[in-house]
Amino acid sequence: MEQYSLILKLGKLLRSGEISCTELTQKFLSAAEKENKRLNAFVKLTPETALKTAAEVDRKLAAKEELPPLAGIPMTLKDNISTNGMETTCCSKILKGYVPIYDATVWKILKEQHAVLLGKANMDEFAMGSSCETSCFGGAKNPHNTQRVAGGSSGGAACAVAGNLAAFSLGSDTGGSIRQPASFCGIVGLKPTYGAVSRYGLIAYASSFDQIGPLTQSVADSALVYDAIAKYDPMDSTSSKKALPAFSSLGKDIRGIKIGVPKEYLEGIREDVKSALQSALKVYESLGAEIVEFSMPSIKYSLPVYYILACAEASSNLGRYDGIRYGYRTDHYADRNEMICKTRSEGFGAEVKRRILLGTYVLSSGYYDAFYKKAQNLRGTLIKAFEDAFAHCDVIAAPTVPMTAFPLNFTARDAVETYLTDICTVPVNIAGLPGISVPCGFGSDSMPVGLQLIGARFSEPALLNTAFQYEQAARSDVFRAVETGVAL
Amino acid sequence: MVTHEEIMKIARLAKLSVKPEELDGLTKDMNSIINFADTVNSVAAADSDFDNLNNLANVFREDTVVPSFDREEILKNAPNQEDGYFLVRRKM
Repeated sequence: MEQYSLILKLGKLLRSGEISCTELTQKFLSAAEKENKRLNAFVKLTPETALKTAAEVDRKLAAKEELPPLAGIPMTLKDNISTNGMETTCCSKILKGYVPIYDATVWKILKEQHAVLLGKANMDEFAMGSSCETSCFGGAKNPHNTQRVAGGSSGGAACAVAGNLAAFSLGSDTGGSIRQPASFCGIVGLKPTYGAVSRYGLIAYASSFDQIGPLTQSVADSALVYDAIAKYDPMDSTSSKKALPAFSSLGKDIRGIKIGVPKEYLEGIREDVKSALQSALKVYESLGAEIVEFSMPSIKYSLPVYYILACAEASSNLGRYDGIRYGYRTDHYADRNEMICKTRSEGFGAEVKRRILLGTYVLSSGYYDAFYKKAQNLRGTLIKAFEDAFAHCDVIAAPTVPMTAFPLNFTARDAVETYLTDICTVPVNIAGLPGISVPCGFGSDSMPVGLQLIGARFSEPALLNTAFQYEQAARSDVFRAVETGVAL
Repeated sequence: MVTHEEIMKIARLAKLSVKPEELDGLTKDMNSIINFADTVNSVAAADSDFDNLNNLANVFREDTVVPSFDREEILKNAPNQEDGYFLVRRKM
């Protein structure tokens, strides 16, 4: 269990007294400060908060107090997760200077566990993007090759973990925003079941899709963080009591499990990505799993369904940014309507505006039935298709992304072309399922490739164990540590 | 095809202002995005009840009184405020 877990390793070092939490925190803070100029993973460092928590952990360690697994572990939060007293911007000009007066539930939980917050992580503006480049602070770069993007939208969160600048990050995943950057940066990213983790304090993009989850260097680490944050929360009306702990399931035999591979997931996939996936399936066969190919035609229209519904929800959620109560307000205006329109036009970036316009269009009179209602009906069809699939297989395997990390400035091209790269990740969000991306090798450009595993709702214990067994069998061939940041 | 007029109408509904020099580019972008979204209409779908696709059930709790946020704290984030109110000037 402990072999590849950075969190357990750091916990041991702290408990044995080999390093104090203050020393550990300082190491991470100075690495973050140095590397951030190159990688742009953080949009804000929070050394005061970090060192204050570290001193408290040191006091507790000295008093031999029992501490939870995440105590003293240096981590980051994506900048759409509200932090009381610390600026939270969604990497948008419209929220610059906004300081929440309450904590997101996930951060409240991590604080209670004495996790050490190093800073807020870079992201695509309002989590809308696949490269992190729509961030008003500029994009995070890929630690494996700084001429490539870290991915998005949780690009900074993935970059910090892959670049050894944080032991774990929390990101959010609306259409792939945890799994895609995890795949691009060669780390593990878990999008939990819809309802498993509270979104209270997560600044909303598309509420029927958004989910918070961990980005880590190993499956065991994702399980540890998931177990900490997957708690029922009365402050989120979609929060469920059904989530089960995952860490204790790691290590169970997977002989005889059925792994389904829908052939639609393999269409249009780059050859080197396909062959990395096929090697991963061979590993599973050697572990005694049965690979079952089948067809799920409804996957083909999941992309337009996702963009219609997510943008419709976004156009409503982002209606609150009017320059009256918080954030940016335009300087010059003739009347109140102009103030709101100018504030929004100057405050939002181009991609956010395109998505608000699409969302408004599909909800507007005359188009609602053809777009929004049709997409909702197709969403129902896709949910049913997944239910049927899980009646005859335990887990579904697919690529996380059809390619490896894009070169920088990818978003400069046609918007739709960028949307198409989300084809493998969006079905999971449409159906509210858990999905995890694990490193499964490298492309012909020697950039990391991710294997995506998908489970039925609330099947995180079995899903993470399936990922864990692969990691145990293949880690040395498929994971490459980056030589930046903190080495311990 | 979405026209300039339609884009202006949608922008008005979304409270976004579009500068004349942005209109051509934006119309082109939106046409490509809307055509892409329109592919949902090339497949048949059965009517489904989409009120609760995520299979969630109401979670009830007692309605207890808890402390609310402090007004002054909330107002600190306002671009402009006066006497406990958000302030928006009528004319600039």
